[in-house]
Amino acid sequence: MAAKLALALLVMALVAAPEILSPYYRSLALAILADVALAVSWAFFSGPSRYLSLATGAFFGAGAYLTAIVEARVPWPLPVLGGALMGGAMALLVGALALRLRGPYFAVFTFGLAELAKHSLIWYETGVTGTVGRLILAPPEPWTLYYTILCLAGLAVLTALALRRSRWGYALAGIGSDEERAETLGIDTTRVKIGTFALSAAFMGAVGAAMAPRWTYLDPQVFNPFVSFQTVIMALLGGATTVAGPIVGAVFLGLASEILLLKFRYLYLLGLGLTLIVVVLALPSGLAGLLRRSSPSPLSSPPAGERAG
Amino acid sequence: MSMKRREFLKTTAGGAAAFTVLRGKAWGQAKPVRIGYTLSATGPYSVGAGITQGPNYTLWQEQANAKGGLLVKGEGRRPIEFISIDDRSEHETAVRFYEKLATDDRVDLMLPPWGTAMNFAVAPIANKYGYPLLGPTAVSNKIKDLQLPYFYALLQQPDQIMGAFAGILKELKAQGKISKIAIAYVNDLFGIELNASAATALKEAGLDVVDVKSYPLGVKDLSPVLKGFKAAGVDAFVGLTYPPDNILATSQAKEVDWNPPVWLAAVGTAFPFYRDRFKGAEGVMGIAGWNPKVKSAGAKEYFDAHVKKHQKEPDRWASAFAYASLQILERCVAEVGLDRPKIKGMVDSTEFQTVAGPIRFVKGSNVSTPGMVGQWQKGEFEIVWPKSLATGTPVVPKPAWA
Amino acid sequence: MSPTLVVDIVVGGLITGGIYALVALGLNLQYGLMRVLNVAHGEFLMMGAYLTYSLHTAWGVNPLLTLLITGPASFGAGLVLHRLLYARVLAGEAAEALESRSLLLSFGLLFVLQNAALLLWSADLKGYSYLAVPLHFLGSVFPANRLVAAAVALAVSLAFYVFLQQSFLGKAIRALMQDPEGAQLAGINLSRVHGLCFGIGIAMSAVTGSLISMLFELTPFIGLPYTVTALVVVILGGLGNVAGSLLGGLILGLVETASVYLAASDIRLIASYAVLSLILILKPSGLFGR
Repeated sequence: MAAKLALALLVMALVAAPEILSPYYRSLALAILADVALAVSWAFFSGPSRYLSLATGAFFGAGAYLTAIVEARVPWPLPVLGGALMGGAMALLVGALALRLRGPYFAVFTFGLAELAKHSLIWYETGVTGTVGRLILAPPEPWTLYYTILCLAGLAVLTALALRRSRWGYALAGIGSDEERAETLGIDTTRVKIGTFALSAAFMGAVGAAMAPRWTYLDPQVFNPFVSFQTVIMALLGGATTVAGPIVGAVFLGLASEILLLKFRYLYLLGLGLTLIVVVLALPSGLAGLLRRSSPSPLSSPPAGERAG
Repeated sequence: MSMKRREFLKTTAGGAAAFTVLRGKAWGQAKPVRIGYTLSATGPYSVGAGITQGPNYTLWQEQANAKGGLLVKGEGRRPIEFISIDDRSEHETAVRFYEKLATDDRVDLMLPPWGTAMNFAVAPIANKYGYPLLGPTAVSNKIKDLQLPYFYALLQQPDQIMGAFAGILKELKAQGKISKIAIAYVNDLFGIELNASAATALKEAGLDVVDVKSYPLGVKDLSPVLKGFKAAGVDAFVGLTYPPDNILATSQAKEVDWNPPVWLAAVGTAFPFYRDRFKGAEGVMGIAGWNPKVKSAGAKEYFDAHVKKHQKEPDRWASAFAYASLQILERCVAEVGLDRPKIKGMVDSTEFQTVAGPIRFVKGSNVSTPGMVGQWQKGEFEIVWPKSLATGTPVVPKPAWA
Repeated sequence: MSPTLVVDIVVGGLITGGIYALVALGLNLQYGLMRVLNVAHGEFLMMGAYLTYSLHTAWGVNPLLTLLITGPASFGAGLVLHRLLYARVLAGEAAEALESRSLLLSFGLLFVLQNAALLLWSADLKGYSYLAVPLHFLGSVFPANRLVAAAVALAVSLAFYVFLQQSFLGKAIRALMQDPEGAQLAGINLSRVHGLCFGIGIAMSAVTGSLISMLFELTPFIGLPYTVTALVVVILGGLGNVAGSLLGGLILGLVETASVYLAASDIRLIASYAVLSLILILKPSGLFGR
């Protein structure tokens, strides 16, 4: 009951935030919510399935670049939908190609994909359009962006929760613990893997599309491998096999980075690095491990398949 | 230190009045003028930020505070307090921090971050909250597309830069010193725009370009490109580069035994580091904007003060413009105070005399500084084009690599 | 194709590939043995490069001689880091948690090392000229420093390969890579070998850094692209396969150089990732993977 009340209050606070907060804190909330959406959608595929994807930057970048291309010609939520479709479609293609890859092979393949996309785009823009980089001259209102991202983050969390309770969620966890056994149990592993991968990529594409107006200027460097790394760090730091883990990881890392940047101009990376090392050594099951100890709930416990496996 | 004190005061002092009194006491004088900016201290942009902008910001602050502070019209001198934040070379972070500077810190003035893309990202924020932003490291034809009245670009833009390149190459061709030009450009916005401007400018000047090659950011080997140019008998190399690829190309030219009579490159050549790296870099040409021998008032004093404070020389292109942007702000504040629309009005309507020569803005672009070409000659980056501003005459063919 | 072009591509490819091979070997050793995906690998390369830069510019030490300092120093640093950080995580955890936790540790190290370099050397470009002279042979011309760097890199890689094949410790390492549990039963001290290999891996990265400091300008942020290249080479050649990394590095070097000479510089990375993707699609465990 108390948890439900707290949740309701949190949602209300998030919805009311743009009215209460100054533009800076609204932007900070926006950035953290975007990271929450990325980390949660990364984790609902990579967490249970144990396929470490480094393609986040590619899907995010594709969505962002799409917004930059269509710019003001298309009314607002459409670029975001387009970004989702684009991310999903790319993931279907990658998924189909990378089907047989496991572990680090999958990770490096997905990373390579992001780089391939970036360099092909640069090559295309240089050779064909003759310009690289686009301006977004008429961005949506800040509150529009905030609510778009809030919706995406909320949807990602709901999707993650729904997945865990569904047959697909069990199947994914089964794939994560022993893919061959899952197959012999009659699970269509291909469909489950590619389907969830595409769903997660759709969120990443949408987040990229929704965040693009914040840059004003976009070029193919938006296919940034650091987005992929940061997403992995957030999710793993919090605990990738839970729903709360990536949320906690994203909020923690977002706030920690902001404080370090503002207070220690020349020691930001040092502080960030030491924070990671200390958390890893002190909390073997991630930040969400702290939550689990205090209150067991569907948000913070690993899926059933995991406990069994 | 001042950061800590501010935090302390913020949390303890009850009201704005107490805040002001205490702050005044702490400084032993007037309330400081608070100026905010982000400069990349980490990530790829920190390289350029640390050469061209950071040292000039701190030099100017130190000089002003040594005089008792920034002269504010009607208020006397007030010390300058910087609120400087690392944007970790990330655009979204920079945008957020400029929002913070405008709405949370409510700074009196803002200075721009380093680099074209960063300036694009934060310019709309500065414009929205009415902060004049004078960018010394933004070079792009797209700046005018932004149509942001509060954004100003001090540096020469691609058409001006390439106009100067074409000017000197045309003359050298007329003198029979060169005949075949080849261009290598980095394939991001900067290189692509320069290359597009080059195509137009060189064509208008009646010059033949025998080969054009692009290469990616972070390139590790330019010897294939250079060998190709060498084989084609190119005698004027034009590199539309960033510093790392500029240095790579220069090293590799020597290593593949190629010494064309004209070696002309973009960003990086004007750095004293480049000169020292290549034992004087005698005869190498590049984009120029300034050197301590130019006639503008205070040029030599600025050079000496920079060396004294930072133990390194300012670069010979954008550094002086970074300092000039601060001189412009300083003069505006002295004449109209900290009322930002009035500052903007003055920036729009005044021709300023700076260490980098006269600067006047028309629709946000500096129209007083023409494109220039410089050449390292006996340790100084002499301006060799246009002739009206020249501090030396071009030496072609350049001597062998040292 | 003219003979000169062939020479340009082959020699150029071997130069690039030799360096790729060495940086990949170290990473492969760490992953193959411990399942530690050391994303800070390139940061150790960066530190090695700066160390050589400082020794050479401040005291005039020959850059090649600095390998005798950067190698052992980074090996020692690796031993300490393994003891302080990785050994704690590697002890007793389930394999999956281990991989993600050691990955996070490596990210932590990456940030710490970048910041350390920033504080020590600032973000200004640093570089020096060494053997920056042309060598003419086979009808073409090559930079002496690149040839020397690649030759040393290949020599170190081959020496390590021989060490793995011939020495007792090398055989123990290979046994552990192939069958951790069986080898432990045969009486091999797992933690000690892990520490040694972590140190060797880091030393290889730092030595590569010392070599490339002769060729490129340094900033605290040059490391990550090398980590990425090393990862690509390791995957191309097969995880845990030392010979695979050697050959993978040379192949990647040749592919990149050929694409630059035959097409354009812009194509280099497109070609290398396209080749990687194609190989993985056709052979999911790398060219020489089991």
